[in-house]
Amino acid sequence: MSETYAIEMLGITKKFGNILANDHIDIRLKKGHILALCGENDAGKSTIMSILFGLFQPDEGVIKKEGVEVKIQNPNDATKLNIGMVHQHFKLVDSFSVLQNIILGDETLKEYPDKPNVFQKAFNFLNKHIFKIIDVKKAREEVNKIIEQYDLQVDLDKKVKDISVEMQQKVEIIKMLYRHNEILIFDEPTAVLTEQEIQDFLTVLTHLKEEGKSIIFISHKLNEVFQVSDEITVIRKGLYIDTLKTSETTKEEVSSLMVGRKVEFISEKEKKTPQEEVLRVEHLSIMDPSSKKKVVNDVSFNVRKGEIVTLAGIDGNGQQEVIYGITGLMKMQSGSIMLDRKDISTLSIRERIKAGISHIPEDRHKHGLVLDYSIYENSILDRYFEKDYSQHLLLKDKNITKYGDELIEKYDIRSSGDGNTLVRGMSGGNQQKIIIGREIERNQDLLIAVQPTRGLDIGAIEGIHELLLKQRENDKAILLVSLELDQVFSLSDRILVMYEGEIVGEFDPHEVDRETLGLYMSGARKDQVNAIKENKHD
Amino acid sequence: MTKIKTFFSTLLKKEGTKTVITSLWCALLGLILGFLLLLFINAKEAAYGMTSVLGNYLIFSNPQDRLNYFGQTLAKTAPLIAMSLSILVCYKAGLFNIGGSGQYSIAVIVITFLGIGANMPWYLTMIVAMIASMLWAMITGALKAFFNVNEVISGIMLNWIALYITNGILSTNSIVWDSPHSEAFTISTTSNSYIPSIGLDKLFANNSIVGLGMILILVVVVIIFILFKKTTLGYELKTTGLNSDAASYAGMNKVKNVLIATAISGALAGLAASLNLQNGFTSWRLSSTPVDIGFQGISSAFLGGLHPIGVIFSSYFIVHISEGGSMITDLGFSPEVASIMTSLIIYLSGFVFFIKELLRRHEIKLEFAKATRGKEGQA
Repeated sequence: MSETYAIEMLGITKKFGNILANDHIDIRLKKGHILALCGENDAGKSTIMSILFGLFQPDEGVIKKEGVEVKIQNPNDATKLNIGMVHQHFKLVDSFSVLQNIILGDETLKEYPDKPNVFQKAFNFLNKHIFKIIDVKKAREEVNKIIEQYDLQVDLDKKVKDISVEMQQKVEIIKMLYRHNEILIFDEPTAVLTEQEIQDFLTVLTHLKEEGKSIIFISHKLNEVFQVSDEITVIRKGLYIDTLKTSETTKEEVSSLMVGRKVEFISEKEKKTPQEEVLRVEHLSIMDPSSKKKVVNDVSFNVRKGEIVTLAGIDGNGQQEVIYGITGLMKMQSGSIMLDRKDISTLSIRERIKAGISHIPEDRHKHGLVLDYSIYENSILDRYFEKDYSQHLLLKDKNITKYGDELIEKYDIRSSGDGNTLVRGMSGGNQQKIIIGREIERNQDLLIAVQPTRGLDIGAIEGIHELLLKQRENDKAILLVSLELDQVFSLSDRILVMYEGEIVGEFDPHEVDRETLGLYMSGARKDQVNAIKENKHD
Repeated sequence: MTKIKTFFSTLLKKEGTKTVITSLWCALLGLILGFLLLLFINAKEAAYGMTSVLGNYLIFSNPQDRLNYFGQTLAKTAPLIAMSLSILVCYKAGLFNIGGSGQYSIAVIVITFLGIGANMPWYLTMIVAMIASMLWAMITGALKAFFNVNEVISGIMLNWIALYITNGILSTNSIVWDSPHSEAFTISTTSNSYIPSIGLDKLFANNSIVGLGMILILVVVVIIFILFKKTTLGYELKTTGLNSDAASYAGMNKVKNVLIATAISGALAGLAASLNLQNGFTSWRLSSTPVDIGFQGISSAFLGGLHPIGVIFSSYFIVHISEGGSMITDLGFSPEVASIMTSLIIYLSGFVFFIKELLRRHEIKLEFAKATRGKEGQA
């Protein structure tokens, strides 16, 4: 072997309960190279990197550093081996200055270096073991040296909470360099950045490589991957697929490896011609209140009776926010939302519910259920104010119990007791059935379902698919948000692909293949889309 | 036999039973530590001291005395129940009302001026006092609802502000003083604003402080019980408290709910002041610290399992040992020992949550073990 590997992870297997997160995955990072780790959501990318950083222990497999086998029990071991990681969510102390954050955990202590006299020796000893006074001046010098060497301009005296996300990322990078890390892991580093910031970041990455660092770069945005990486390792659903040289492959090939070539099963849907329009979203834009980033940018689409329209895309590309905008959970910046030809843009959440929106939320524990409520109490969460369930400020217990029992019966909701059982102790599938039953039974024109099968097993998933298709038969308008291509293909009548807050393509599931969809989802086709858009304007 | 067994095991699984058990544990823990304290200070008299703390009025041999002091304990329980309910209502809505003391003090101003100064009828005094406390509590509520100011911080600050306002106003208005320079304010039994006894005093050896107040507080308990059990408002408050994201999802108005919750609990704190001062027995004295009852209410609410009915018993228990504690000074214990001992018991009562959490974890462990075993069995 002529080339030495900075890190080799061989046959890594990791199980969480019954779920196989990593199944014999091999990762070989050459010295001074950039290795891109690609895969869809839940492919196991973060798990394998967490193993390398010592956050998890593998069930099987070995890790070698420069050919020597090592054990990484915790992040401290990883740091000792000069492995550093920038997590997707930064690990910084908001109220500390940049400099304090950089030296935190690896402080340079005050010391008298050259031939100290007895008192100074005593001071050195005491300071090392008891006082631990930090030599801020020396630390600052060291950090400044790094800043110059790698051209990473940051203001060391500003507090982290006062600087931009891009700057915070630079702080994370300097932190690794200050610890003399040689192997740098970046977990989806560009997810939080704007287009221009991404370009700057990629320049920094190349610069780091030139200085001899070895880098693992986790991403599913193929444009960036092809711009900077030397090799690409693809994993899919916990399985190792292949490692390719970037110069010898194409985006199309990588994309098809990521999504798989499986012949997909499109469930036998009755052919239907969609009827009148129920929901029309026009030029919807939403700004994230904390990052001030436009998370939804000029999105327009409609949903008609008797069709399932799917917002597809990789997690975090604005699908969730579009739904929040429609239901009123998030303030819209501009645009309009029409429900049954009435403008609901200015209505409150409650008024929108009454106007005819059923909403199966993404996070059942956060929005969908009150875990310390019983099945009965949860079954009326967004309809307790209706005449059937309350009158003159009093709840109608009899009707509520009756309705709850109906839901339990009709949707086969199983628990250890009757409808008085607390939802907290129930399985995820049964919890989800409460929400789905509740929302379907509200019998509104529009049904919004956000990742309705998240975290459920195959049996439960099929049941929920059937329920959604039945709603389609009943001429409801259904807006689905899904991250899973299998689901997108088997349910949708129309697929809208979202990338970075915009709809970048609309497809008929019968006329598009997974590879094309994958390319659009990872933004590889964005340039073309933009070109088409510009042509339209001309 | 098995029937009885299953009955008990289902009973044990019920949330209510668990709460009762944890509360009893806490009370016991407090009593044991209190006893250890007495042993440490004066081992000889400790056992007798403990008996008088636990016995309270029961240590009297004369049945008339017993009845009299029993009545007194009951009458003093009423205001604590009101204060506990005040904490409870906020807590259910996800807020921590630590400002009970301040709300109480504001009611005191109204009661002294309307009751002593203007000699208004008792119900009018009571209602105005409750409104004043309600408005005061809504300052915290508004700060929370509109500016997301932490209600604990603003509550504590408002406690001191209310205390100084009360002291300032009362110390400079001699019309409400009992006697020149007394710095005490008492509503006499002949006053219009004295809550009538309606004959209840006869049942307790002519103890005039027993009266309508006790019946009134039971009515309030029932109202609060119904509020959370049967009404849409209660459902909204509980939802906001348990999962505020789900409350927004269901389109509940959080601002409105926070304001209503603080308003109700303010009114209840005002009621506590009214029941305490308008019985012709308790005096208000200028004080340098916020009144105890606001904090005892917190212990009592938790010890009562945050249940309106449970609060009746926990409040009685706390008043019972406080009254009993005040008797041990006769045994050569200093008054401070009595109050240390009773507050030890009271504050340990606040451990309910801690013990409940321990129980819960234990149960999850058991269930988890059972579930995994079950799965393996199936496979």
